Amino acid sequence: MATMTAGPTAATARSPAKGALTWARRNKTIVGGTLILLALVVIAVLAPWLAGDPLQFEPTNRLKRPSETFWFGTDQFGRDVYSRVVYGTRISLIIGLCVAVLATFIGLVVGVLCGFYKTVDTILMRLMDGMMAIPAILLAIALITLMKASLFIVIIAISIPEIPRVARLVRSVVLSVRGRPYIEAAISSGTRNWRIMVRHILPNTVAPLIVQATYVCASAILTEAGLSFLGAGTPPEIPSWGNVISLGRTFFQIAPWIIFFPGLCLAITVLAINLVGDGLRDTLDPRISRRM
Amino acid sequence: MTSTTSKAAAAPAALNDETILSVRDLRTHFYTRDGVVRAVDGVTFDLARGETLCIVGESGCGKSVTALSILGLIPPKAGKIVGGSIRFDGTELTTESESTMRRIRGNRISMIFQEPMTSLNPVLTVGEQISESLRIHQRLDRRAAWDRAIEMLALVRIADPKRRAGEYPHQLSGGMRQRVMIAMALACNPQVLVADEPTTALDVTIQAQILNLMLELKDRLGTAIILITHDLGVVAETAQRVIVMYAGRMVEEAPVAELLSHPKHPYTRGLIGSIPRRKPGAPRGRTRGRLQEISGLVPSLREAIPGCAFAPRCGFATARCTTEQPPFEAHGPRHYAACWEVARVEAKSLSEPVGSEA
Amino acid sequence: MTAYILRRLLATIPVMIVVALFVFFLLHLTPGDPAAVIAGDDATPAEIEGVRRKLGLDRPVWEQFGVYVMNLLRGDLGTSIFSNMPVMTLVMQRLEPTLVLAIATLTVAVAFAIPMGVVAAWKADTSVDRVVMGFSVLGFAVPVFLVGYILIYIFSIQLRWLPVQGYRPLSGGIEGTLRSITLPAFALGMTYMALIARITRASMLEVLSEDYIRTARAKGVATPSVLLRHALKNAAIPIVTVIGIGFALLISGVVITETVFNIPGLGRLTVDAILKRDYPIIQGLIILFAGAKVLVNLLIDISYTFFDPRIRQ
Repeated sequence: MATMTAGPTAATARSPAKGALTWARRNKTIVGGTLILLALVVIAVLAPWLAGDPLQFEPTNRLKRPSETFWFGTDQFGRDVYSRVVYGTRISLIIGLCVAVLATFIGLVVGVLCGFYKTVDTILMRLMDGMMAIPAILLAIALITLMKASLFIVIIAISIPEIPRVARLVRSVVLSVRGRPYIEAAISSGTRNWRIMVRHILPNTVAPLIVQATYVCASAILTEAGLSFLGAGTPPEIPSWGNVISLGRTFFQIAPWIIFFPGLCLAITVLAINLVGDGLRDTLDPRISRRM
Repeated sequence: MTSTTSKAAAAPAALNDETILSVRDLRTHFYTRDGVVRAVDGVTFDLARGETLCIVGESGCGKSVTALSILGLIPPKAGKIVGGSIRFDGTELTTESESTMRRIRGNRISMIFQEPMTSLNPVLTVGEQISESLRIHQRLDRRAAWDRAIEMLALVRIADPKRRAGEYPHQLSGGMRQRVMIAMALACNPQVLVADEPTTALDVTIQAQILNLMLELKDRLGTAIILITHDLGVVAETAQRVIVMYAGRMVEEAPVAELLSHPKHPYTRGLIGSIPRRKPGAPRGRTRGRLQEISGLVPSLREAIPGCAFAPRCGFATARCTTEQPPFEAHGPRHYAACWEVARVEAKSLSEPVGSEA
Repeated sequence: MTAYILRRLLATIPVMIVVALFVFFLLHLTPGDPAAVIAGDDATPAEIEGVRRKLGLDRPVWEQFGVYVMNLLRGDLGTSIFSNMPVMTLVMQRLEPTLVLAIATLTVAVAFAIPMGVVAAWKADTSVDRVVMGFSVLGFAVPVFLVGYILIYIFSIQLRWLPVQGYRPLSGGIEGTLRSITLPAFALGMTYMALIARITRASMLEVLSEDYIRTARAKGVATPSVLLRHALKNAAIPIVTVIGIGFALLISGVVITETVFNIPGLGRLTVDAILKRDYPIIQGLIILFAGAKVLVNLLIDISYTFFDPRIRQ
């Protein structure tokens, strides 16, 4: 009898190092995405050492092809596209991170309130439904049109349309957790609402929120690039990828590199974040993978 | 050893015109991340035309996989038939092409599944679902197939079949859905009907109705039935012959009355002992609860089991039982069992428990 | 079923009211002086005052609100600050290219994505599946403008198969229109395609493991029929839902795509409005696009009744 059951148990017992290796092999997407992101962070931090001045005009070097001196070519003002792309990494990562944090935090607050108070729910969810009907980029454009352009305003403008999605997710988690018997027991035994929230409900929102935050981050980076491309984003003097691409528009046929390299970096960044998000979703919370 | 003949030797004699389906040493394996699961590990039986054969065992013993193997419905990526043969009316099914199998399925061999709630397609009307097999296999046009579907609904005694044919599964009760499944399975007059726990998901009162309907239609249409169940009560009421399976292997086979009155395998005894209605006069607590008297768990099928798979749970087990697999041998007329200790098992009264800890 | 449709229809009303309120109060609650921002950095006080008057900001909020609501109900989306043209007129002038682009994109995306998703689910865990999934992961990451410029580079500049940029109106013949819209539709449709293919695969995978699929196979139904007749219709609801969600993506993408391909549609109207900070146009477009999105979602809700008999009652 003992020999019968011992087999599989012995097979599953592994050393921690081997376990980590197996985990990495099974979660290639998380590992791959994280490595790319780490590389991007290093590039962003070390930008001053990796690249020249992204703002330096060299009228003699206008629209130069990619070469050994100008890896990614130059733009119509003779600025080094490579330097601009390297510095652009900073802008994109900052925007992605700030929007993810801001939208997730506000969405969390709204969602928890909605999940807990009926009256708040009816009012705020109506508002959220209306906001979700407005295409994100247009909402951001409207906000930016009305305010003086700055990095801060862009972050706010991109965050606002992302809030409803987060709020809805949190609300659905709160509502489902609230229905569980132990929460109902806690409520009926007079435990204070905030205690229930902090002790029982918030921990349940963590996994889906982390996953959602990665998607918000990726979407924010794309939206900023889109806004800048349209001329409604980061102020043009800031070398964000969207701004670099936007300037390349007119000269696309003769100098495609101005668009191609920042576009590629943008794609790689978003890809890396999405890979991490997909991987986290699959490991942390299989339920959302179905919801999406 | 007493005068026993192995089943393999006795088998060819049983092959005659009356045999519609003949399974020999069937082995079906599944491939999981943690290794190979030997879901069916050498199953051999014949099914006569018009016969009702019950396959009994706990869940996970390979009953359903045997059924799916016969229809060639083992999901190709998950597992496959690795050995043995399935001969159906002169055709070897294990090596047959998918297109031939498709022509046999639902036409000459049909299957009814356990969950009538989930086994019908929710977005197609029941009429469409029944007429589909008629259109595939009998090449009926839409109209004729629909009319025949209504006839089939009437045959399985669904009231107002014309209206019901246009309804969707969610509009029907569980019992009615299982009737629809039966109508669907029998639409093309199959020679073999495989019913995998057809009544398990139904209310007790409906169970009897559905079983009686199946038996009645079987007699009328001459269909042979393989009825898969874990419920010996169902077996007693329906079967002519019974096969008991354990851990992917056959442990006993006998005509139903013989099996229930003179079980030769300790596992069969355990199953019988766990039916509440038996043993009049015994204290209530001991007789209630399914399989309470067989202690321990079904073994993992991931490793090859050298001896008898039941040995770890068996009160009769000896050293030999854990090392040498007992042959499936005749221990009486048409009565086969795979056990080294049949003599000792028979010596004990039926009311005594078989568990190893007893 | 009528009750269901009616209920869905009624549910769109509060959403549109919130949208209308939202854009109105956006103008009034924005910190700072929107009139000054719109008039630009080097505007004279008189110019700022002019903008303020045109936006109606010189009157009390409740009065502005009344005028705004009355105008909306009459189908008046406001007046451009700079051209003094009604926003509705400007929209009508630019509607055709955007509509054609949207329909073409939707068609391209659905026509490619659903077969891709179905095949990927059917051949799950094979190389075909991995290619489709790889494409869908890429489709989410590559921005519309990059796809657009790459397509122009390959098909227009290198191969010279299709026009580089611009739009040929339908009045000049459908062929010219199709040629001018092909690349934009694919560029815009890439993300959409990725989204639909991914959900089609996921939804089909779930359905293919259902008991009734096994029942169908046990009946002898052939694979194509199992996939299309038995599985796809059951998998449809998440798919059409995502088509609706993706419509928002499409609208955001339209603005960028029209800029890349120089298409004189609503997207370009938006960009022109951004450059001049012509808020009434942006406000009108928001209401219009939100309305379009709500309408599409309504149609999708109604389409559920076609796919699932359980909703019909």
